[in-house]
Amino acid sequence: MKQIQIDRRRWLQMATSGALALGSAGGTDKSIPVHPNQLKFGQLDFNPPEPSEYRHELPHGAVAYLVEDHQLPLVRLGVTVRTGGYLNSDEDLGLASMTGTLIRSGGTKSMSASKFDEEAAFLATEIHSHIGATSAYAGIDCLKQNLEPSLVMFFDMLRNPAFNSERLALAQRHQLQNMQRRNDRTSVIENREFQRLLRGDSHFSSKLATEKSITSITAHKMSRFHAQYYHPSSLVFAVSGDFDTKEILVRLKNSLREGWSANRPDVSTVPKPKHQPTPCLAMVNKTGVNQSRVSIGHLGIQRNNPDHIAVMVMNSILGGGGFTSRITGRVRSDEGLAYSARSSFRAGVYYPGVFRASFQSKNGSCAQATAIVLEEIERICNEKVSQKELDTAKNYLVEIFPRFFATASIVAGTFADDEYTRREKDYWKQYRNRVAALTADDLLKAAQQHLHPSEIVILAVGNVNEILRGNPDRPQYKFENFAKNTDIRHIPLPDPLTMEYPKG
Amino acid sequence: MFERTRRLCFTFLLAVSVPFMADVGLGQRVTPSVHTLKNGMKFLFVPRKGDPNVSCGWIAKVGSVNERPGVTGVAHLFEHMMFKGTHAIGTSNIQQDLKIIQRLDVLRSEIRQQEESLLEKHRRGVINNPKDPTSRSEQHKKLLTEFNALLEQQRELIIKDEFSRLYRNAGGSGMNAGTSWDYTIYFVNVPANKIELWFWMESDRLANPVFREFYSERDVVYEERRMRVDSTPTGKLDEQFNAMFWQSSPYSWPVIGWPSDLEGITRKEALDFFSVHYAPNNLTAVLVGDFDPKHAKIFAERYFGRLKRGPRRPEPIRTREINQLAERRLAGYAETVPTVKVRYHTVADAHVDEPVLIVLAGILNGRTGRLYKSLVLDQEIATNAGAGVSGLKFDGYFSLIGVAAKGHKPREVEEALYAEIEGIKQTLVDARELQKVKNQQLAGDFRRLRSKSSLMMQLLVYDAMGSWQNINKFSDRIQAVTRSDIQRIAKKYFHPSNRTVAIYHSQLDRIDPSPTKQGVAR
Repeated sequence: MKQIQIDRRRWLQMATSGALALGSAGGTDKSIPVHPNQLKFGQLDFNPPEPSEYRHELPHGAVAYLVEDHQLPLVRLGVTVRTGGYLNSDEDLGLASMTGTLIRSGGTKSMSASKFDEEAAFLATEIHSHIGATSAYAGIDCLKQNLEPSLVMFFDMLRNPAFNSERLALAQRHQLQNMQRRNDRTSVIENREFQRLLRGDSHFSSKLATEKSITSITAHKMSRFHAQYYHPSSLVFAVSGDFDTKEILVRLKNSLREGWSANRPDVSTVPKPKHQPTPCLAMVNKTGVNQSRVSIGHLGIQRNNPDHIAVMVMNSILGGGGFTSRITGRVRSDEGLAYSARSSFRAGVYYPGVFRASFQSKNGSCAQATAIVLEEIERICNEKVSQKELDTAKNYLVEIFPRFFATASIVAGTFADDEYTRREKDYWKQYRNRVAALTADDLLKAAQQHLHPSEIVILAVGNVNEILRGNPDRPQYKFENFAKNTDIRHIPLPDPLTMEYPKG
Repeated sequence: MFERTRRLCFTFLLAVSVPFMADVGLGQRVTPSVHTLKNGMKFLFVPRKGDPNVSCGWIAKVGSVNERPGVTGVAHLFEHMMFKGTHAIGTSNIQQDLKIIQRLDVLRSEIRQQEESLLEKHRRGVINNPKDPTSRSEQHKKLLTEFNALLEQQRELIIKDEFSRLYRNAGGSGMNAGTSWDYTIYFVNVPANKIELWFWMESDRLANPVFREFYSERDVVYEERRMRVDSTPTGKLDEQFNAMFWQSSPYSWPVIGWPSDLEGITRKEALDFFSVHYAPNNLTAVLVGDFDPKHAKIFAERYFGRLKRGPRRPEPIRTREINQLAERRLAGYAETVPTVKVRYHTVADAHVDEPVLIVLAGILNGRTGRLYKSLVLDQEIATNAGAGVSGLKFDGYFSLIGVAAKGHKPREVEEALYAEIEGIKQTLVDARELQKVKNQQLAGDFRRLRSKSSLMMQLLVYDAMGSWQNINKFSDRIQAVTRSDIQRIAKKYFHPSNRTVAIYHSQLDRIDPSPTKQGVAR
């Protein structure tokens, strides 16, 4: 039986010695230091849990991470399945996602869809199924007393989904209605078009289902997709909560041993995008909004890049570290130009991620805020960060480290995800040391190597005329100047059902 | 982490997920150790094992319901100002800083006079745009120049976002705050060896606040309004629907405030608000996590004991909602799915009828709820449907929502929603149906205890709404609801004259010349 509170005991001893000092300090106002920098804290030791202690191998190559926690009479069991929307052909865009939905809503071969729903609801068991772009998930969340009946339903769903045709028709209608609204929200338009600018139109990550591809989905196609990928060898389980490891192992082994195909699925790897983005100033016109959304960025790095942690710390100083970061400080608190202004530098698992700074500001002040963001990107490439900034960024990441393992559910989920994405083995063990070792020189190097001001793509979604008109009180900022020597690229709104863009 | 205002989130929290632990053989209850200071501030300590971290928060029993016309949004704006530092935090020279702030206030009030004269010209139609810089007088321009120069001077002294930096340096995470109609909440997670930092920081900003960068923060809040309300497909209609539902009650104005007020609120008004509503006798704090309450109690005395009890009790809310006499309707166009929303006036939080309303919503909601089964699965006229209970501190409502499927009108969905309500009035609900909802409530009671920060917030909100002890009473109340209770309550509240209805037509359908769409202003 393994609990995740092993390291807690060590800390409690520290806390006790801290209490002695505290007792002698008395309780008057005079004992309050004038600045919190003068507060003294006890040491806090924390060692991350060891994945191997929770890892179990199951029949046919399935793997499980089992993390007990008996504080509440609840069990959460989830499984990641090696599949994803990236496997869909162009004609079948949306098939994977629909299959994920219907695995849950379409009943099983032995239980009708409505009976399945009723049983789950009466047990108060939440049952989920979802297929995303590069992985699928299915899981239950139930009261301990209902674990067995919930598991029976779960494995029935996972193995024998029925893809009821009425439920399919309903899901299709629902999705078509949602697709119709693809041009309503500026945030939706912004994400879609920024993705297209950076990934091009031929990579799966920027392709969207159409009316045609959705209506062509059949129960047969879904059933084939499911049969192709849902197999024990593709499964990584994460189980947490009030259960007994030995008992659940027996239970999982029994469910996986028989009734599955002998053939292991051959899952092709996630394709890398080939598109090389062109630096540009792009705009999408959306009248009727008094605030526009702006994204500024370029392609980034992959997770296995040795500079990954340096880049993360650099970005937290640039715009990823909340109020203590530069972009937020200048755009939001100095100038009051935005409620949210930030940057992210996502390291991709399968291919390079994206660096993106973004904000939302009233149409007229987008030019000024953009200028500030560009200045800050330049500055972090040219000057070393201050010691204070470096300390804050590093201390934060080191100090919050225990939070990455805060609950049994997080521990099991993290380990399962690491297994699925094949994260380097000693990543968590080395994490704090790697952060702590970084210097201002390292960050400058990381910025110079991985930020590319000359490759920047800028996208604004909002009232184009007002953005270009700018703020009469700040005439020095002109949005069109960011186009440099090229023309502004005006992106029209596509037909939401065909995803065809009007020419011209 | 920037989402400082989670109004919807909070109202939802009260609406659908009212906790807690049922007695059903499990016997788990939340039993904090309670400590009240002489100045009236209450502390609840809940030691809990887990990771070496403590979820810390406090709540002020004040929200937009305590505002008056002219300063709507001040409760929320004030929440933002609480992050701007103190005498010790955020400046390198407090004396100089205070002088500048004083001078900025004087200039701002003179600028305001100039703005008001432009507004007056605009009111009379002499100018089109009161914000056009070319309409400004010489004096106005001069004031602005001086104001901006002074801001630059102040910037030299400011230690940028030092408040946030101190927490971040120490591994404080999830620092945030939120304002609702009824309360304002401030919270952060700190490593278990650093709870003293929380006591230092939070008591300092209550004891010695300095509202610097007030006017740029007012602009930030205005951007927040643009983001959440003005520039979302249904934000403005939702706001007007709410304003129409409440006629006399202060719940009618939005938590984020009306635009005209956001442009005009002064620092003085924010300070007045603070002195009444942020006195310790109006505050409760909660800590949940890996700590020893004995230490926490010493820290509470030392740090928060220095706060002075307020000069007077905050005045109770005097203006109650007037009885509704007739149905009210709003029809509008938005870039969204065709939607119908219905609200009935019901009861305030913790009223004896509230558990029954919550169970009734449970009967209607979810994949196996009556609304989805009837409107979505059987009749196929809707793609989604649901119900919710919103118990606010002084009043409350029950809401229904439906999204029309392609080829169907919101009006059909509206009628179908009423038919389901009539069904509940006519026939007792099925016993198994009721048991299903109770089972789900029971499991939900446990699920909500999983996260320390969620427990911390629930205790705070319960206490602000009435008493934290209600957290332990609720589950029993839910489990005691009977089939006839549900029928009785449905008959009591669900009358046409007690409801307000909003219909949102999709923008795409606008060419349809049906008479119901005549004269609709956008």
